[in-house]
Amino acid sequence: MSSIVDQLAETSADSGTPNELFPLMPEGQAVDMGRAEDGTPLIDPRILDSLEFFRNPYPYYRILRDHYPVYHDKLHNCYWVTRYDDISECYFDDEGFNTIPKGSSSGVLGNTQLELSGIEHRRRRNLYGQHLVGKSLQNRIPSIERLAQEMIAAWDQAAADGSSYVSDDKGVRTVELGQMFANEFPIRVVCEVLGFPKEAQADFYYWYNSMMSGLGGSDTHKQGVEARQHLEDYVEGIVEARRKQPTYLYDEQGNPLSKDIISKLCETKVDGDFLSTEEITSNIALIVGGGGETTRGAIMNLWALLLRHPDQFAAVMADESNWDRAFHEMLRHSSSIGGQPRHNTFDIEMHGVHVPAGSLMQMVDFSANHDERIFKDPETFNIFRDDLYSGKLLRSGYRKDGVCSHMAFGVGPHLCPGAWISHQEAVVGSKILAAQMKNPRIREEKMPKDIDGVSPAPMGIISVRDLWLEFDLG
Amino acid sequence: MADSSTPIAGRNGVVVVKPSSRSRDGEKGFRTYEVHQRERVGQSTEKIKPIQLISDEYRLDPYPALAILRENYPCYRDWLGNSYWLTRYDDVSSVFSDDANFETRPKAWYYDREDFGRDLGGELSVLTADAEGTDAYATSVAEMLADGMRNNGEGDLARDFAARFPLELLARLLDLPEAARENFFAAYWRAQRGVSWMPELQQDGHRALAELVDMFTPLVEARRQAPGDDMISAMVQLEVDGGPVTATDVARTMLERDHETLHGSLANLWYLLLTHPLEFEKARAERRLMKLAYLETMRHSTPVLCVHRFARQEVERFGRLLPEGARVVCSAAAANRDPRIFNDPDAFVVGRRDMCHREPRGQYRADGLASGIAFGLGKPSVHPAVPEDRPRSRYAINRDTVVDASTVLLEKLGDIALAPGAEPILTALTVGEMHTCWQLPVRM
Repeated sequence: MSSIVDQLAETSADSGTPNELFPLMPEGQAVDMGRAEDGTPLIDPRILDSLEFFRNPYPYYRILRDHYPVYHDKLHNCYWVTRYDDISECYFDDEGFNTIPKGSSSGVLGNTQLELSGIEHRRRRNLYGQHLVGKSLQNRIPSIERLAQEMIAAWDQAAADGSSYVSDDKGVRTVELGQMFANEFPIRVVCEVLGFPKEAQADFYYWYNSMMSGLGGSDTHKQGVEARQHLEDYVEGIVEARRKQPTYLYDEQGNPLSKDIISKLCETKVDGDFLSTEEITSNIALIVGGGGETTRGAIMNLWALLLRHPDQFAAVMADESNWDRAFHEMLRHSSSIGGQPRHNTFDIEMHGVHVPAGSLMQMVDFSANHDERIFKDPETFNIFRDDLYSGKLLRSGYRKDGVCSHMAFGVGPHLCPGAWISHQEAVVGSKILAAQMKNPRIREEKMPKDIDGVSPAPMGIISVRDLWLEFDLG
Repeated sequence: MADSSTPIAGRNGVVVVKPSSRSRDGEKGFRTYEVHQRERVGQSTEKIKPIQLISDEYRLDPYPALAILRENYPCYRDWLGNSYWLTRYDDVSSVFSDDANFETRPKAWYYDREDFGRDLGGELSVLTADAEGTDAYATSVAEMLADGMRNNGEGDLARDFAARFPLELLARLLDLPEAARENFFAAYWRAQRGVSWMPELQQDGHRALAELVDMFTPLVEARRQAPGDDMISAMVQLEVDGGPVTATDVARTMLERDHETLHGSLANLWYLLLTHPLEFEKARAERRLMKLAYLETMRHSTPVLCVHRFARQEVERFGRLLPEGARVVCSAAAANRDPRIFNDPDAFVVGRRDMCHREPRGQYRADGLASGIAFGLGKPSVHPAVPEDRPRSRYAINRDTVVDASTVLLEKLGDIALAPGAEPILTALTVGEMHTCWQLPVRM
C-alpha cells in the first residue's frame, strides 16, 4: 500500500513536457515507448504532439501500421487508420465515412465542399473541378509557363538590388527557391486561372499566407479568418461585376477561349437555382487556399529530393517525360499533406477494434504512402520504382495495371480536384527552372540540419522550409 | 450487396446505394450537411487551442483554460478531441440531470470491456451493506490512521491519511482477510487507473482486473457458504438475471465504484484548510462548520474535474446541433467557479452565503441556491426525504464520512500545521485523472 502511494506521489512531482519525454532520435528510429508482455511496442499518444514526431513521423507510423492498424488514441479521442488498403476503402465509402463536421479548417476556409458528402458534394465539386482539368487546363499551360519565366527573369534584378535570397558570386548564383519562386508561384497561377487582375496578386498572396497560418486553431486563427473575409469581400465585388458583364479568357494570340471560371459559375444553376454569391466566394477561397501550400511543398520537395539523388536528376534531365514519374514518386515519398479526418457514420469493427458511430478517424496518407504492403522499400526515393502508378490519376480507381497510385491526393469522391493543375504547375515550373539553371546543386551548408548537426534535417510532416540552391551563370 | 442494400433514386437519376448492413436499425441514412454548418465566418475560437485542454499546464492547473472556455465559448467544439465542452453552471447541471437526452457510460465502456461481469452497485442490499459498513467503520479506520501519524509526530496527510482511508475502509466493507489487503489496495488502484489513455496504465489495468477476480474467487465461495454482513455477502446472496453472482461480478462492481471522490475530497479539504488558516480557525470550531468546509471544498477544488456525457440522439442545445453519440465534456471545475452563480468564485470561503448547505435535489439546486457540482457521487437525492428502507445517498454518505474522519483528525492530532517549507499543490497524475493533493506534510 505505502509503496503504491509513494510511487504515485513521486509521479505527481514530475512535470515532463512531451518534448522532454521524447528525445529527438536519429532519422528512421522511434523512441522506445515501452513494450507489452508479448513484445508488442506500445504507443504513448503524447508522442503525436511532440516535436520529435513532427520532425520524423515515419517510424511511428510504421509501428502503428504493423501493430495497431486501427489505433484508438484515448488522449486525443480519435482512431488512427494507417494501412493503404484500409484508407482507400474508407475514402471510397463516402456514406460510411463522412467529412462532417470537421472544424479544423472551418471558419478559415469557410463552408466549402470539403465538408459536404454524397450527392451535394458531387454536384458542387464538378462545378469547380471542371475548370481545373482537361481542355480548360491545357489552355492555361502557356500562361503558367509565362508566369514561371517572369518570376525567374526577376532574379537578375533582385540579385542586382542585393536581395538576401539571391546573390551572385564569381559566376555562381545562390538562390533560395522558396522565397524567390515556390511560395508565390502557385498563388499567381491560381489568380491567373481564376481570371483576377494582376494588381490583386499581392493581396491574394497576403490573404493566402494569413489563411494558411490561421488553420488548425493556431494563434493567428483570427488573422486567418479576417484575411478570408477580405478575400471574400474582394471576390464578392468581382462576382457581382461578372454577373452583369462576363469576362473572357484569351489565348496567347489574343483570341477569346471561353468565359472565365467566375463568369461561368455566375450563370450555373444547381437544382434550378443560380449559385449564391456566398457559395461562389467560399469555394474560390478554397481553391486559393488549397492550391498554394501543397504545390509550394511539391516544388520544394521535388527539387530537394532530386538534387540529393543526382543519378535520378540526371535521368530526368536526359528525358523530360521522367518529370511526371519524379513528381509522383516525390508525392509518395514526401507529400506535404498528411491525411484527412473522417467521421464514421455507423458503428463499425475494423481489425477487431470497435469504433462507435461519429468517432473521429484520422486517415494517415503519409503512412499509406509508406506502406510496405503496397510499396517495396518505401523509405527509398526511386523514380523508377515499378510498383507505383504514375499515369493520369482517376477518381474512380487507384489500382491500374496492378500497381497503386500514391495517396497524396487521396482517392475516391474527395480526390483532390487540384491534382491535375498542381501536377502541371510543379512539372511545368520545374522544367523551366531546369532550363534556366545550369548545373544546380544544393548549398547543404545553408540548409537546416538534423540533430547530429551535419546531415540534412528530415522533411518531416511538412515540406522543406528553405531550399538553398546554387547554379552556374551564363 | 443486393440482399442488404436499398437502392434509392436520387433527383438526377443517380442511384444511391445505402448499405444498411452497417446501420444499427437499418433505416438510418447519413445526415445532410446543412444542419452541421453552425460554425460561421467570424466565429473564431482563437483564444484557446484544443491542445491546451490536454496539456501539462491543464494537468497542473485547469482553471485558467476553463475560464477562457466559460467566458468565451460556452459550448466549445473541440475538434481535436471530437467533443463538446460545457463550462457554465446552468449548462453543466442541466445536462447532468437530463437523462432523456444524455447518458453516462460505465467505466467498463472506456475499458472496452462491457461484457466484463455485471455491476451490482445499484442493488438495494449492496447499497445498504455499503452504507451500514461505512457508518460502522469510518471512525475506527480514521482513528487507526490518526494514531499511526501521532506516534510518528509528523506525517503526510495526503499519503498517510487521505490516500489510505478510502482503501482501508473498503477492505473492511468487503471484510477482506488482513493478509490480502495490501495486494487488494494495489490491484484496486491499478484497475481504477486503467481507464486512462496511457498504454502502460491500460495494460496494467487489464492485469489488475484479472488479479481482482482471482482474489475474489475464494471469498465468493466462502461467503456463499457462510454469509456475513459485508458487501461481498450481500452480492452473493442476490438473485439476478444471468445466473449466480461470480467473482467477476464483484470485480466489475468494484471497478464501477469509486474511491476517488472520497480520497480527493479528504486531501483537497485538508490542503485548503492548511493553506487558509483563517478558514481553518472557522472550520475547527464546530462540526457543522467542518461540513460547510467540505461543501466548499467540493465547489472550490472538486477532485473529479469533469464527466463525459453522450447524446442519446441528435439534440439541438446550446446553439448547436449535437449529433447522436456526441461526447459532451461536462466540466464541474469550470461550472463551480462560474461567476454568474458564485460571488468571488476563486476564493475559498467556509460558510458561503450564496451556496446551498443542504443536499441538493435533482438539479443541484435547493433552497433556490446552487451547490457545488461534485461527480463520482452519483446524482444528488431526488427524494424529498429518504425512505426508511433505503440507505442515504452516496452524496450524503461521502459528506458524513469526510466530516467524521476530519473530526477524528482534529481530536487525535490537536494542533496540525503545515510542515515548515512545505509548498503543497493540487495536481493530476496524468491528464484526465483526479485533481488532488499528493503531498501534504504536517506537524503536530
